[in-house]
Amino acid sequence: MTFPVTATSHSLAGYRARGGYVALEKALKQMKPQDVTKEVTASGLQGRGGAAFAVGRKWQVVVYDDGQPHYLIANADEGEPGTFKDRWILENNPHMLVESMLIASYALNVRNCFVYIRGEFDLPYRRLAGAVEEAYAAGYFGERILGTDFSCDIVVYRGAGAYVAGEASGLIASLEGKKSYPRNRPPRLTVRGLYQRPTVVNNVESLSNIAWIIAHGAAAYKEVGTPKSPGTRLFSVSGHVNRPGVYEVELGYPWMKFLDEDCGGIQGGREIKCVVPGGVSSKVLTGADIKDLALSHEALWDAGSTLGSGGMIVIAEGTCMVTLSQILMRFYHHESCGQCTPCRHGTGWMHRIMDRIVAGQGRPEDIERLYYIAKFNDGTTICGLGDAAGYAISGILDKFRDEFEYYIEHKRSRYDGNLECLRSS
Amino acid sequence: MKHLTPEFEKLRERFPEGFESSLVLPCVRRIQEERGYVADSDIEELAAYLGVPQIQIEEVLSFYTQFRRKPIGRWHLQFCRNVSCSMNGAERILAHVEKRLGVKPGQTTPDGRYTLSTAECLGSCGTAPMMMVNDGYHENLTCEKVDELLEGLK
Amino acid sequence: MPEIFINGQAIEAREDQTVLQVAREHGIFVPYFCWHPQLSVVGNCRMCLVEVEGRGLDIACNMPVNAGMKVFTESDEVKAHRKAILQFITLNHPVDCGICDKAGECMLQDYHYTYNGAASLSLDDKVRSTKYYNLSNRILLDNERCILCLRCTRFTHEVSKSMALGVERRGDVSNIRPVEDRPLGEDPYSDNIVDICPVGALQSRQFLHKARVWYLKPTPSVCPGCERGCTIQIWHRKPEWFLKSLDPRQNTSIARITPLENPAVNGPWICNKGRDLARIFERTRADQAMLKGRPVPVAEALDAARRLIGAARHPVALVSNWGSNEELEAFKRYLGEVFHTHVKRDWQPEEGERIEDDLLIRPDKNPNTAKARELFGEHEPAYHAGTDLVLVWGEGYDFARIPPQAKIILLNSYLAPENGHADVFLAVSIQTERAGHYTNFQGVVSAFEPCFPKGESVLDAEVLFKALAAPARGHP
Repeated sequence: MTFPVTATSHSLAGYRARGGYVALEKALKQMKPQDVTKEVTASGLQGRGGAAFAVGRKWQVVVYDDGQPHYLIANADEGEPGTFKDRWILENNPHMLVESMLIASYALNVRNCFVYIRGEFDLPYRRLAGAVEEAYAAGYFGERILGTDFSCDIVVYRGAGAYVAGEASGLIASLEGKKSYPRNRPPRLTVRGLYQRPTVVNNVESLSNIAWIIAHGAAAYKEVGTPKSPGTRLFSVSGHVNRPGVYEVELGYPWMKFLDEDCGGIQGGREIKCVVPGGVSSKVLTGADIKDLALSHEALWDAGSTLGSGGMIVIAEGTCMVTLSQILMRFYHHESCGQCTPCRHGTGWMHRIMDRIVAGQGRPEDIERLYYIAKFNDGTTICGLGDAAGYAISGILDKFRDEFEYYIEHKRSRYDGNLECLRSS
Repeated sequence: MKHLTPEFEKLRERFPEGFESSLVLPCVRRIQEERGYVADSDIEELAAYLGVPQIQIEEVLSFYTQFRRKPIGRWHLQFCRNVSCSMNGAERILAHVEKRLGVKPGQTTPDGRYTLSTAECLGSCGTAPMMMVNDGYHENLTCEKVDELLEGLK
Repeated sequence: MPEIFINGQAIEAREDQTVLQVAREHGIFVPYFCWHPQLSVVGNCRMCLVEVEGRGLDIACNMPVNAGMKVFTESDEVKAHRKAILQFITLNHPVDCGICDKAGECMLQDYHYTYNGAASLSLDDKVRSTKYYNLSNRILLDNERCILCLRCTRFTHEVSKSMALGVERRGDVSNIRPVEDRPLGEDPYSDNIVDICPVGALQSRQFLHKARVWYLKPTPSVCPGCERGCTIQIWHRKPEWFLKSLDPRQNTSIARITPLENPAVNGPWICNKGRDLARIFERTRADQAMLKGRPVPVAEALDAARRLIGAARHPVALVSNWGSNEELEAFKRYLGEVFHTHVKRDWQPEEGERIEDDLLIRPDKNPNTAKARELFGEHEPAYHAGTDLVLVWGEGYDFARIPPQAKIILLNSYLAPENGHADVFLAVSIQTERAGHYTNFQGVVSAFEPCFPKGESVLDAEVLFKALAAPARGHP
């Protein structure tokens, strides 16, 4: 789904030149809605938002003709630190998302679909809004699309600054015009979601694969990647690499090769200290951990982490993990919606502990406290934000406990505390 | 808010029936675009117009970071301080700007020109460090670039 | 009917139930803060976490039953999690029980003791917030004590529908706040949130720092504020905890009023008028019998009344619809044949008072019109030139309507100018001084019990009517 970007490659003409809207025609005129779902399921496509939940399985919960409205929402809230690949799609290939959403709406009997885009995104929003306008003008939205019985409308809905609105039920609450409080399950959103109707929420990248899958078929999709991780993924790479950016990688690709060759290696020629593989809510892996690993779901699950959102943050040797952790705990504290007890108080608590440690007032008990807070946020909260905050800190503590102990004992970082690789000693 | 009503009517038509509550966020955003912030009277009027409880709008205004109920400076400078940006000099550049403008995050310069803020991840990690100036992203910042930018903001 | 297992016990559940509901029905206690039987499920406190075999821990209040599921409410994991939830709740909680009215009836206190809550593990300062927020002229909010269970906001959205409360900001700086033009003050059901608040965050100003709850006892009663007849609890000092005070009223006053849960009438709610009954019951009392304003012994006044009744040709009686079933029946039995009896409406809606709604409030602001009407019908009193005696029982009657030639026997509980003008005045007791029943507008009969002793010269109307029916001394 990636290609060399030009000034017009995001336009309808550009997309058509790349083979766009062929899949839509095929789906509407040659396939039944159930066939589309079958094809998506057969492809084994996994969600690209962070949970890697099989897209087809999610779709199958929706009963096609249950007599009530269904909704499809593309989750473009992209707030996971380290992640900016959905932004790439919105800025440079928005029609791929649009076409995919039309096909998905057809499969799921959706008359009104939405893109929920984080409020801070400006260019991505304008590009997407532009693509939607072009699509309407070309007759891809509205009544009786391409002369078939399928009608569909889309609304691009802007968020207003809340990471928790990236959680599917928090997103729905926000789309209902309220504060973004996630909801308990049951009921699943595919049973009762937006305004209590069956709703499918999929990540932008997940959905964008649909057009390709329908155009080329599930079998062709499965030929790429590994059996347990089919297809390609967009990775957002940032941190201490020389060539940060969005990369489309075939799943199963060797990790070190990716970092050394494609991403240009580490700034200042340093060694890799550790990598956050899939957004800060995934557990950190050391340079040693990833040496022989491939970039696939199963490889990371086996290593005790996850590909998550594909937001890869590369951290060079000499970086203070304690200072980094302070930033992470500040982030979760700021973004906690405050609804449920463990996360509301736990994120604040962890932040205050990290502030104290970094200020040179850490105590030996603090490490156990952090583990305690993480443990009782694991599986106890309404949504995954609490768990994620716990994974972030416990993952770093598991690998770098000695750094924390050093900081607490000596009241300063073992390194110089400067997170900038090129300027630290 | 009254002059925005025709716009809001058009917006309402884009949504399915029964989605009035959903109009809160886009309407608030539009009001803020016009006025620079959301006034108390806007809240009452919007609640009446959409038929939603006033408390819902008040909650939304205080929950989301992008909505404000007080005016700010002409140029809103928001610096991301999250991990990748910090790993590529965000703190250093922020300190530079603080010194140059003489304000700390959360404050506005006395001449009302700049309001300085910090933000969490804005989805620009690959082009870190970065800042938002009002709605726009400015990426791959250096101290020199920032100085040039600030010069150009009148 | 799916069969589930809780702590090894096989239980027949209903398909639409949650595990929490099933547990409650079978006497298995699972702790909770945010769940309430009359409010939507929010599942935010996480206190009701239970363990399900093969699935780990999840909240019970939102957990549908599945046939064969094995639930454990007291496993080691569950206990550890309860302690942790209590740790999180008390992390920023001021733990100022020493100055908090909720002490003694606080769910947080109770759970802390029951589930071995421990001292805080935190080495950091607590997050501070507003201690005395003026939520309304009736309710004080302490945001530090608040555990954000959202019972209060849900109440105003789902029950009283005033939409008055919400949450400002997010995370651990979230605060319950009222909508900005403060209609919580206009919500006639606002004080129910004080009852349902599981901690001491919401406090009634009326009751603020008046008494520790363990010095008080609740006596069941019925609110006389309207014909709904909500059952209530009148709280007053336990005899063994009477204060040694020169003012006897310290020990015979209403400390506070709360609902007495009643599925047939008011559920767990009452309106604010029911909370304010002290302003009705604690008005200055009439405490002695009088003849044309001259205090006399009761016996003398009784005698005078009997003579008037015996001599009257066309006596008219206006009975009080605040009379209890027993009193009204007694009037009928003993004096019903003697008087042309009409039902008087003692109270009218006051200015600004809500007349009616579809929750509890009814337009007739009297407790026993139903019984009175049943016994005496509904027609206006008919006076004529021959009317020579009018017996007025209770309040609210315009004495200017009484023909000037008629003698007046007045039975009243409260000090009023008319008391002194009546030919015979007898002081009668109020409902807090005796037992009795009211019949509400739907025919539901509810009981009230006495809380306070009555004055020496104050009579129970029931007894009084029988006494009045006896022939006067010296008359056949």
